[in-house]
Amino acid sequence: MAVRANNTWVIWLTFALALLLSVSSMPKFMELGRPLWLGLFLTYWVLALPHRVGMTTAWCIGLLADVLNGSLLGQNALILTLITFLVLTLHQRLRMFPMWQQSTVLLVVFGLAQLVQLWLNALTGSRPPTLAFVLPALVSALLWPWVCMLLRGLHRRLGVN
Amino acid sequence: MRLLVFTVLSAALMVVDARFTWLQPLRAQLGLIVEPVYWAGSLPVRVWDGATQELSTRSELTVENEKLKAEQLIMQRRLQKLAALTEQNVRLRELLNSAALVDDEVLATELIGIDPNPFTHRILIDKGEKDGVVLGQPVLDARGLMGQVVEVMPYTSRVLLLTDTTHSIPVQVNRNGLRAIASGTGNPERLELRHVADTADIKEGDLLVSSGMGQRFPAGYPVAIVSEVIHDSGQPFAIVRAVPTASLNRSRYMLLVFTDPRTAEQRATESAQAQEALDREILQQAQPAKNAPAAPANPPEAAQ
Repeated sequence: MAVRANNTWVIWLTFALALLLSVSSMPKFMELGRPLWLGLFLTYWVLALPHRVGMTTAWCIGLLADVLNGSLLGQNALILTLITFLVLTLHQRLRMFPMWQQSTVLLVVFGLAQLVQLWLNALTGSRPPTLAFVLPALVSALLWPWVCMLLRGLHRRLGVN
Repeated sequence: MRLLVFTVLSAALMVVDARFTWLQPLRAQLGLIVEPVYWAGSLPVRVWDGATQELSTRSELTVENEKLKAEQLIMQRRLQKLAALTEQNVRLRELLNSAALVDDEVLATELIGIDPNPFTHRILIDKGEKDGVVLGQPVLDARGLMGQVVEVMPYTSRVLLLTDTTHSIPVQVNRNGLRAIASGTGNPERLELRHVADTADIKEGDLLVSSGMGQRFPAGYPVAIVSEVIHDSGQPFAIVRAVPTASLNRSRYMLLVFTDPRTAEQRATESAQAQEALDREILQQAQPAKNAPAAPANPPEAAQ
């Protein structure tokens, strides 16, 4: 087999890292604002390599996240698929936007995702009593420029395509 | 189009997972990845803990050692009393002709992860199916009940804590035996007693113990201490709040309790049978002793 230089393993490595970050232990007050690491990483790869990372990838990673979190199988899968769908539909425009504008759009996308999450949680009986569910979306949107730059550096340096 | 397919697929999976048990084996197998991921996820905390332990000074260790020794002394004093009390309890129960109270078997376990969702109170422990953990098994720490096992994976299991909003436990006021149901509130320091009559004899400082009514938790373990009782004439019931005795968000080591799956009657019959067998054995032992001077040459025959 010829040397395949597209380095897809890097993508999977970053997803593994995101899964890890999504369950790593944090101080109690920060738990409320835990960023949607999977959503962030997925958004970057979908924007950068839409032919490689799509809804199927998102769904599979979502299933893994469900197992890790002990939520209903399919819950996170549905949400990540939704995020991917929104980003895919917007990606021509999103790529043209400056960073802060991307963050704003992503705030809405992640907010929607969190809203769906809230509904699904309400169905299974554990509903948060507050509006705190938008906090992760806000934190994620604020983190987006840094995540984007970091992953872009990785992407360029290792020549993932 | 793809979105539709995946949405339907996810929805179907969720419904199946929530309503049926077909997906349990799949979940259990996928659960194998859980432990390494949580282990790696808590690595920073572990490294930090290890470092502080390594770097703690000799004097700190001495202080801790002394504290532990004092604690142990207190515990041992209580234990001395306990032996006598247990003896007395067994005797009284014999008098009442009720089944003997069997000591539950326990298995020590360690916390390995906390549910990342801040609105649910669930934790991950390092014992699973391979260690004999079963669904619904009670978990306690040194001070009281913590919760029950809700998901069993090969090497790990998930425990739902008492304070989760979806959890309730039947309890009893230790002072007078008044029964109630303690529900979680989503606050790790608070339980609420549901539907307690305004006139019920319950007051601040009362110890609530598990009543064993739901057939899930063993009876008699401490659950919570009543922290406030509010009588509001506008409300149909009194508002009773309690603080769990177990340190739900601090305990690192816990005990899994293996309770006797038999019913009270079965236990009674079996203990009666065991008693009879014991009596017979004693009789048989007494017989050869009585015959011993008459026939000293045939103990091997007696053994046959």
